[in-house]
Amino acid sequence: MRIVKLKKENLFPFLEVISKEADLWAPVKKYEDKHVFKAVEDFSEIDLDYQRTIIPPRRILLPPKTNMFEATQNTYKEDFSNVSKKIIFGIHACDVNALVIMDRFYNFAYDDPYYTRARENTLILGYSCWPDEHCLCKSTNTHIVTEGYDLFFSKLDTHYLVWIGSSQGDDLIRKQPSLFNEDISDKDIQTYLNWQKEREDAFQAEIDFIDMPDLIELKYNDPLWEELGKACLACGSCTNVCPTCNCYNVYDKPILGKNASKIVRCWDACTLENYSEVAGGENFRENRADRLKLWYTHKLQAYISKYGKPACVGCGRCIVSCPVDINVLTVGKTLSGEKVDAFWKRFNLQVKKEVRK
Amino acid sequence: MKTISVEHLCRVEGNGGISATIDGKKVTEVKFNIYEGPRLIEQLTIGRTPEEDVSLAPRICAICTLSHKNAVLRAIEKALSVKVPKKTILMRELMHMGEIIESHSLHIFLLALPDYLGYPNAIAMAAKYDLEVKIGLEMKNFGNHIMKTISGRYIHGENPVIGGFGKFPDKKDLLWIKSRAQQFMPFVLKTVSLFCELDYPEIPEDETLYACCDPGNGKFGFWGEKILLSNGESIPADDYKKLTNEFVVSHSYAKHSLYKGKPYSVGALARINNLGERLDGEAGRKFKKYFNEHWKKNPLYHNAAQALEILYCFERIPVLVKKILKDENTPKIIPYSVKEGKGTGLVEAPRGLLIHHYEIKNGLVSNVDIITPTAQNAEDIERYCYIATQKLLDEGQEEKIRDRMDLVVRAFDPCISCSAHSAQVRQGKTDEWKSKLETILTHEEPAFLGIGNFRQGDDAVGIFIGKQLRDAGQKNVWLESSTNEMESFWKSNAGKPVIFLDAIDFQEKPGTVTFLPLLYALNNSSLVHKFSPFVTGPLKYNQLKKSYILGIQPASLKRGKTISPCVKKATREVLETLKSRQKKNRHFKDKE
Amino acid sequence: MENSKLKIGIYELTGCAGDALLILDCEKELIDIFNAADIQSFVMAKSDNIEGDLDIALVEGSVTTEKEIEELKDIRQRSKIVVAIGLCATVGGIQARFLDPKEWNERFKKVYGNIEMTHTKPVQSKPIDAYIDVDFYLPGCPIGKEQFLIFFTRILKGNPPEKSQNPVCVTCKYNENDCLLKKGILCLGPLTEDGCGAICINHNLPCAGCWGPLKTGNRTSEYYLLKEKGFDVEHIKKKMANYSGTKIASFLKELEKEKK
Repeated sequence: MRIVKLKKENLFPFLEVISKEADLWAPVKKYEDKHVFKAVEDFSEIDLDYQRTIIPPRRILLPPKTNMFEATQNTYKEDFSNVSKKIIFGIHACDVNALVIMDRFYNFAYDDPYYTRARENTLILGYSCWPDEHCLCKSTNTHIVTEGYDLFFSKLDTHYLVWIGSSQGDDLIRKQPSLFNEDISDKDIQTYLNWQKEREDAFQAEIDFIDMPDLIELKYNDPLWEELGKACLACGSCTNVCPTCNCYNVYDKPILGKNASKIVRCWDACTLENYSEVAGGENFRENRADRLKLWYTHKLQAYISKYGKPACVGCGRCIVSCPVDINVLTVGKTLSGEKVDAFWKRFNLQVKKEVRK
Repeated sequence: MKTISVEHLCRVEGNGGISATIDGKKVTEVKFNIYEGPRLIEQLTIGRTPEEDVSLAPRICAICTLSHKNAVLRAIEKALSVKVPKKTILMRELMHMGEIIESHSLHIFLLALPDYLGYPNAIAMAAKYDLEVKIGLEMKNFGNHIMKTISGRYIHGENPVIGGFGKFPDKKDLLWIKSRAQQFMPFVLKTVSLFCELDYPEIPEDETLYACCDPGNGKFGFWGEKILLSNGESIPADDYKKLTNEFVVSHSYAKHSLYKGKPYSVGALARINNLGERLDGEAGRKFKKYFNEHWKKNPLYHNAAQALEILYCFERIPVLVKKILKDENTPKIIPYSVKEGKGTGLVEAPRGLLIHHYEIKNGLVSNVDIITPTAQNAEDIERYCYIATQKLLDEGQEEKIRDRMDLVVRAFDPCISCSAHSAQVRQGKTDEWKSKLETILTHEEPAFLGIGNFRQGDDAVGIFIGKQLRDAGQKNVWLESSTNEMESFWKSNAGKPVIFLDAIDFQEKPGTVTFLPLLYALNNSSLVHKFSPFVTGPLKYNQLKKSYILGIQPASLKRGKTISPCVKKATREVLETLKSRQKKNRHFKDKE
Repeated sequence: MENSKLKIGIYELTGCAGDALLILDCEKELIDIFNAADIQSFVMAKSDNIEGDLDIALVEGSVTTEKEIEELKDIRQRSKIVVAIGLCATVGGIQARFLDPKEWNERFKKVYGNIEMTHTKPVQSKPIDAYIDVDFYLPGCPIGKEQFLIFFTRILKGNPPEKSQNPVCVTCKYNENDCLLKKGILCLGPLTEDGCGAICINHNLPCAGCWGPLKTGNRTSEYYLLKEKGFDVEHIKKKMANYSGTKIASFLKELEKEKK
């Protein structure tokens, strides 16, 4: 591993050079305080001073709806039109770690060609960040990166320190090496270490994930789940904004006037009602509480039992998205026996009060 | 006696029919039936916030959705004193152009043209008239595209809101619209020559009064603050009721409108008649080339007028886009805080003058009045069908009647959903009958006929008023006292308008006075038994159309010779109104 | 080949005719639609209509007159499959909001006076499934182009249509919108059927609910949430009722009870 230095004013020239042969995706502002990843041509649109995008970068690799192939009665033609050379610039550590988890999911038993091909053609250029009150990534140990990136930019006062994480990353640097220099001074190192220390101390949200598998097992029949189910709007947002959710549905879209169909792949969410519906109309998880239990069991128990860490990277997206405050933080804390202030909690108290009346 | 009817009008928007009743060689009745049920939309919007109404009211109609949107916005923004910036107005005009293009091209190419080329529908026509169908579809698609770009979707777009827009469209989308409009020009010109040179039958030609918005500043356009009539009169927006006296007609859930007791026409042909001189550019040249006397009296020229308007829109769009793009720093939504007020919005929907009136109290809508183009055209649709039917009958071409009526109705491009949204009329001011009666008396010299039974309580009011009127010196007053008198009444008043005076059970508060065209009363099953056949029997359609019924709600019809106090009070009011009118007339005559 | 085409009828009861119009708005596909199916009856588009046996009847509009009840029953009898298209047919439309027949009568009188209609008697607006069995529902005010084409093509090819049970929020998130409800804006996304493309939220405007109520929507939770956010209770109820037709009557009645 090599670390090089890039002057701030050299960033755009560097992006200019590397975006010649690939689409450059970077965070841009969508609302006053909300960002999205977008393919940019005009670099002035890029806004690196962002907290988290509304939807995680997995959307770039597998969009919510993609056409997989067009089929007739005896032929089919695959559609890889979403696969193209891409560079995602400005990804935070949590999202880089989430992509590592996604890589594992989609190669676990069978290779998913739609994901893998898109992924193979995509370079990941990470970017350092500063936590807000919702960032949980220190608890999930995903606030730093050890794998899954090609380059990683840490912002100092006048420079970036650039970690080179892969040979493809190294190739990018070599496109115009004159933009970089390798003489990292003691002062630079000290500045970086200070910044890192301050950042570690800046985290406000915290959960102990080590105990989660046991807690979920012990509280599998806890009234908590019914309470969550009562308040849950079943909007599917927690799932759609989660950087490690990967379920999808496949449906036919017949073509008018032709004896052929497009086979479309579409994001699905286990928190939605028709997710667990099977042929014949039977539904295993009609109850919202059951669906939430599935989601949390998957994120906080099954994955930890198997890989030793949660399928949550602490990005905080469920925290800022759920209208009724059902999120990893409030659920995790409640499981650990802590008191939380959340709408779903207040709602249940109120309903109970009214029933008593 | 037989009836010729088109049960289900095809290729029009909504659910309606037309029928003509023929007695020998005379047409006795023409009815424009609307089967579309009552939706009570105005009632639904009352008690809602102005923001909700901006979303709900356009649901009256899919094809005029943005006209309704513009009208409700104009009315409510006036009521709440919201001043929207220029860019917002320009964008609203652009989306309106989209609707005009969409609706007009759908109508002339796909709905009306098959009639003239002899096909049941546009798809069947496509085999031989491929280019025409293609132009029609592409043009409609382009209109739709504009509507979607600005309003958010093809139908019932929600992007236009009080104070502006939720979101402005991208520059590149606007530029595309501009260049596409320019590319279209050769086909637009082809459209104009096609529809302006079409062979329109001369039956049913007749003069009418045309009404449309006056955009002001000597310009052509689709909205304004005044209503312009073809006789030169001008009515400010707030006085719109002077133009549209809506009546309930029992054979339709749409209401009919009359101006000074007479039908009038709205729509593309009204606009071209009233404002055509103001067109410039290519549209102006084409107007000068094609406009002639026929356009002034033949409703079938609606099709030609719509083609001219399409040209106007295509010329206007590039100008609009250029102006919109110039203005970059306009805020999307102007904030507002006013909670009370009232306002009227006038807009020219594709098929004519559309009026929305709102009153807002404590931040909630307290009163709504919506008057749609088809409701205003309904009377003229019936009149022109009547003329066509009678003429064809006179010329011995009875077999053509059905198709011709179909053609006439379709030319008006009626929007039945719109008309059946239901306006609020009878609930209006309780003394509305006075102004209606006055209007009639200013223009006509009707005969009065008092009807009733003086031995049956309040049923005597008709006779009672008649007697008093006679005593006061009113000429041509008759009483339903004996068959003899009735016979001479019909003889001396053939063809003249008649005002029937009677006690009629409208299930209103006792003493309430109602003034209705006789035709409507006769079509109403709850009222019709009030007229013995010999009273109305000799009435011919023409006379029927001019006649009215002045009814007073009785309190009791028990045997006896006393009239209830509340009915007596109403009687006094009626007499006073009639007497004061008499005085004015006399005064007028003395002067002469 | 000609004989194997499915016979289709498109009917309009009372409404804005937007759903039939939207079918005409499929300009690019229109000729394909007419080629792929045998359109027997489509009053808005053609005049050579045949009213016979049908494979599929698409019905838009709510039932608002006695004549329409009969027409609808006749359509049911003639058709193998009946599909309700659009908000008016699926839930009764905005005009079906009066739950109390007494209130409806009063409103009707206010508008039309006491006149009795000679051509057909009015009845209180209801969705078509109040009178006949409905095989499929295609919600929307009006229905969406893409949604309609997928549905139509599937049904033409004999495949049952995909059931949509998702709230607007799903597509809203696909479109990467910020949650307006979370921001404190009265948005009905979680309670409304998906299919519109989350168009209003794409334009920074809250969902008004015009695709009709999601059967499984958690109205109670959102009601309390909005109440907590400071919205007037009456306003919340009105908003929820605007585009729900007759379909959330029991929920609204439940709220009324609570008040007492």
